[in-house]
Amino acid sequence: MAKYPDKVDLYDDRGRVFASKVPVEALSPLRNPAMQKIISYVKECVSVNLEGIEKALATGEVGGKWCIIRGRSLKLDLVKNAESIADSLKNCLQVTKDDDTEVKVLKGGKHLLVKVPAKRLNAGVEYTTGFTATAAALCCTIVENFNVNLWDADLIHAAVWGRYPQTMEPLGGNVSSLLSVPQQNEGMGYALRNVPCAHIALITKKNAMNAAALSSILEQAAMFEMGDAIGNFERLHLLGLAYQGLNANNLVYDIVKENSKTGTLGDVAVSTVKRAIADGVIKPLEKKPSGYTAYTTNDLNMWNAYAAAGLLAGTMITCGSARSMQHCPSVFIYFNDLIERETGLPGVDFGRVAGTGVEMAFFSHSIYGGGNPAVFHGNHIVTRHSKGFTIPCVAAAVALDAGTVIYTPEKISGVVGETLSEVPELREPLRYVNEAAVSIHGGI
Amino acid sequence: MVEYKPQYYPGSSKVAKNRRKYMDPSYKLKKLRTISDDDLVKLMGHRVPGEAYKSVHPPLEEMGEPACPIRELVEPTPGAKAGDRIRYIQFTDSVYFTPLTPYMRAWMGHTRYRGVDIGVLSGRVPLEARERDLEKVAKDLVETEIFDPARCGIRGATVHGHSLRLDENGMMFDALRRFVFDNKTGEVVYVKDQIGVPLDKPISVGKPIKEEELREMTSEYRVDGIPFREDKEMVEFVQRLHMLRTEAGFDPSKVKGI
Repeated sequence: MAKYPDKVDLYDDRGRVFASKVPVEALSPLRNPAMQKIISYVKECVSVNLEGIEKALATGEVGGKWCIIRGRSLKLDLVKNAESIADSLKNCLQVTKDDDTEVKVLKGGKHLLVKVPAKRLNAGVEYTTGFTATAAALCCTIVENFNVNLWDADLIHAAVWGRYPQTMEPLGGNVSSLLSVPQQNEGMGYALRNVPCAHIALITKKNAMNAAALSSILEQAAMFEMGDAIGNFERLHLLGLAYQGLNANNLVYDIVKENSKTGTLGDVAVSTVKRAIADGVIKPLEKKPSGYTAYTTNDLNMWNAYAAAGLLAGTMITCGSARSMQHCPSVFIYFNDLIERETGLPGVDFGRVAGTGVEMAFFSHSIYGGGNPAVFHGNHIVTRHSKGFTIPCVAAAVALDAGTVIYTPEKISGVVGETLSEVPELREPLRYVNEAAVSIHGGI
Repeated sequence: MVEYKPQYYPGSSKVAKNRRKYMDPSYKLKKLRTISDDDLVKLMGHRVPGEAYKSVHPPLEEMGEPACPIRELVEPTPGAKAGDRIRYIQFTDSVYFTPLTPYMRAWMGHTRYRGVDIGVLSGRVPLEARERDLEKVAKDLVETEIFDPARCGIRGATVHGHSLRLDENGMMFDALRRFVFDNKTGEVVYVKDQIGVPLDKPISVGKPIKEEELREMTSEYRVDGIPFREDKEMVEFVQRLHMLRTEAGFDPSKVKGI
């Protein structure tokens, strides 16, 4: 029995209908198997930069840039022997033969994509198992396969783990996971929010719809984990995820299409209001002496979902037409200002997105340091305040950028984004989540 | 789709009406002066007039774009297509009855122009866009009724002055003395570009708008003009939003029909 009456039509990233009248709960991280798979992959999938390890060993530059240990070096042909390293690494990580461990060789041996078996994660309480198991197993593998002696084994450790445990995170290491170390999370349940938008854009190969979808899944799943999406607030987040992140009822795509040639951000706000009136989400409350009509709603959660979808569409129009990511904070403030003034109803996340935009505008326009939007994430001190509704738009903006920033998403993301784009569920989340929703909706 | 006429802004005062007017893109801003394209380029100081646009990436057609349905749908601006750098024009608006308040620059900019990045700070409002797109927008911003030569400043740096008293000629304070009042012609003349680099030849931006006209045109609420508190409809709007945001933070499902 469904908890909530809401049903939505599912669409793909090109506005083609996929299924009709699917309960919104089939798109909940608590129910949707594809979302749960995505969350598992985020924990289990780790990327290894074999080329980086080879270089670090050859030069003695381990534990961070310019941190060179003179007189210490090892010439090991890791990239050339990537296949045999992958086999040994797999053996080392496996709990049982034929379990779900995977090690894939990418870019001619330069990188490895490792999937640690679920059993290893299930036997612990921390998501860091993916990283620790891979890094440790890789050290063992290199020592074994290349007959590294007792006196050189420490260098292997430093090349793989970086300066950890002298530093909190594996500084200068060559194994990386999407998730940061737990000490870098702003609070309880923030782990899935600590993924920079650069990674998201590259994993989804700069498809803005999928970038927004993946980001929204991670953000809204984190809302459940943080204790936000529960009780009175669960439906707010479910509808937000469906309409903003997953293009439910084709709302995002339709609004973008309507404004694709000449539309401004103001036009997108008006399109959103029009659609909300047409769908009966909002209605006139009273006409003021000036002729201004204030609107009201009987379903503020649904209004929020519409406004959130409009916000993403506004980002796609503004950042998309300029092919530039830096415009997104301006969209966050002024889309909300405009839609609030247009209707008399609160903007996305009831003011939190507008507030987040103010801070992000400061810290993404090189006034007070910070960085370009690609470095931001839901755990960032400046952008964590909206409960999952801002970061999907940042991810879409980063995906739409044609190359306007000095520190590109490619530079920021490094090996992680590129290797994890090999995982189909992460690369095309919309498709897999839609399929999974259809497969379970009978049960809801 | 329902017939819907955008309303842009609440409020019953003249100030609110002016705000609605400027934000409504179907209202054509009145042109008050002509600044040549070259002079505008000089005022902004990003390139020399006639110089080709520098680019930050190759033209989109040459570089090819990732397979993205949104990129296929959304038409890039001419500047984005060409790969132009992103540049800015920045304004300081005096608190004394200028046509636009800082926030109005953002609201109006986003209803009238596509692909713009506008930020509002305490004493300045930058508008950033791809260079050739920026030049088009800047033309509107400087040539039309929303720019008063004496009380609006084109200032890229050292913007201080918006809240200071006007001088004997009605000019806003400018620490870099980018613009001066020409007593002979009664016009305001820029002798430096927006960041304060001296210009080869002064550029006139015309006569200041008269005080009584500015009081009619302004989108600023002021205690010695039209005070915000006298616009009951506007105050109600602000209070309503504050109430709704707060109630929604407590329990969004309980906010119904109010």
